[in-house]
Amino acid sequence: MNDPLTLRLKHLIVETLRLEDVDPQQIEDDKPLIGSGLSLDSIDALELVVRIEKEFGIKISSSEESRQALASVAALAQFIRQRADPARLASLAGTPAN
Amino acid sequence: MSAAAVSDSVRLAATGCITPLGDATATAAALVGGVRALQPTPVLGRAGGEAVPLALLPGRALDETNPPAWVPVLRALLAPVADRPWGTARFPVAIASSNFGVGSLYAFRRYGEDGSADHGTPHGSTDLVRRELGWGPALAVFSHACVSAHLALAHASRLVLAGAADEVLVLAYDFLSPFVAGGFHALKILNAQFPAPYQARATGSIGLGDGAAYAVVTRGRGDLAVAAQSLHNELHHFTANRADGSGFATVLAPLAPAVAGRKLWLKGHGTGTLEAGQLEAAALAQAFPGAPLVGWKGSLGHTLGSCGLVELAVAAAALRAGTTPGTVGSEAPTLAPNVALAPFANAGFDGVLCTSNAFGGAHAALLLSHV
Repeated sequence: MNDPLTLRLKHLIVETLRLEDVDPQQIEDDKPLIGSGLSLDSIDALELVVRIEKEFGIKISSSEESRQALASVAALAQFIRQRADPARLASLAGTPAN
Repeated sequence: MSAAAVSDSVRLAATGCITPLGDATATAAALVGGVRALQPTPVLGRAGGEAVPLALLPGRALDETNPPAWVPVLRALLAPVADRPWGTARFPVAIASSNFGVGSLYAFRRYGEDGSADHGTPHGSTDLVRRELGWGPALAVFSHACVSAHLALAHASRLVLAGAADEVLVLAYDFLSPFVAGGFHALKILNAQFPAPYQARATGSIGLGDGAAYAVVTRGRGDLAVAAQSLHNELHHFTANRADGSGFATVLAPLAPAVAGRKLWLKGHGTGTLEAGQLEAAALAQAFPGAPLVGWKGSLGHTLGSCGLVELAVAAAALRAGTTPGTVGSEAPTLAPNVALAPFANAGFDGVLCTSNAFGGAHAALLLSHV
C-alpha cells in the first residue's frame, strides 16, 4: 500500500513528464528512475527537479544531489521528507490518488 | 572529423583574448598568481536569485544593454589585427559562440526593450559584429556548444592548408546573461559552490565567465604552430557523455602521430563537474602518462563556446612567458595523479595539448607547438 507522498510522487512523475503509457500505480518504489528502470534522461530529470522544488518548497542544490534524490521513488520520498515543511507533507494525506 | 590534420605549416600569426583578468598576457600572469576572477553574483542579474560564481568583465553588469555593451570590447580586442581586409575571399572570418546574443531575446521578451531582438540570434549578432568592424561578407558561423571555437579553428586550418585563403580570422565570444546563467543554474551544475576542476569531492559545480578571443591562422608565419587537430562527436545523448569515457579516448587517438616524441603539457576542459572531469582526466592520463594537466575554469569560469580559443590564447601567452598556470581553485585529492595544482616552468616542453568537450559528447583537441 503506497503512502500518500509516494503515490503523489508517482502521479507527479507521470504528469510532469507526460508519460501517457505509464500507469502511476505500476511504478515500483525502488526501481531506478534515471537510465535503466523508468529510463528518464537528464532533461526529464531537470523538469522533474523544477516541479518537485516548486511543489514541496525544497531546494536541490547540485547535480549530484539531484541524482541522489532521483535514484528511485522511495529515495525521492525520503529526500523530500528530510527537507519539506511537515505541514505541507501532512496536507498530502487528503490528496486523492487520481 | 576524428582524423587529425598534422602539419607544422598552419601557424598562429597572432592571437589574443580578453577575460575579466585582462588580456592574454595579464590573464596568464594572474592565473600563475592564483587569482580567481569568479565572484558570487545573483544568477538572474537585476532580477536577483541565488549568488553563483560568475566572472564578468570589469564594469559590465550581467544584464543586457542595447546596443550590446560587448561590441566595444570586441573592437578593442581586434584592434591589433584590424588592418587586414577581413571578410573578403582571401581573408575570411570564422566566428564561434554558443549563445551569441541570446540573452537579448530574453530581455526583449521580458522587458520589451526595443531593438534587443535585432541582435539576439546568431545571424543578428554576427551581422552586428560584421557591420561594426567593417568586414566584408565572407564569414562563417560555428556554434556547437563548448567545442564551437575548436570547430572554427579547424575550418580556418583547412582553408589555409587547401590554399583557399591567405589568412583566416577566427573570433570567438560569449558574454553572460541572466538567460544563460539561469539555464545552467536550472541544470544544477551551476550552483553556489565555486568550481574546482579535477578535484575529487562530493559535489561538482561550474562557474561561468565572459570571454572573447581571436586567432589569425595562416601558413608559414608565426612562432606557434597548430600541429594537429582532432574532433569527434559521440552522437550519444543530448547532454551526456558515454559513461565508459570512450568519446574522450577517441578524440585523442588520431593525435598519436603528431605527439610522438614530444613532451607536452595538457590544458584540459575541466569545468568542475565530476563525471566529465573524471572521464577526461582518466583519458588524458592514459594517452599522455605523466604529462601535467591543468584547467583554468576555476578562475575564469566556463566561457562556453569561446573557451577553446580564450584558453588557447592564454596557453600561447603561457608558452611565451615560460610558466604554465596551475589549476586555480582546486586542491588535493584530484581525479587523476597528473593534475598540476601549482604553476610550473614549461621551457622543457615542446608544446601544449588543448582540449574542449561539450554537451552531447562532442570533443575537440588541438596541439599547439613551438615552431
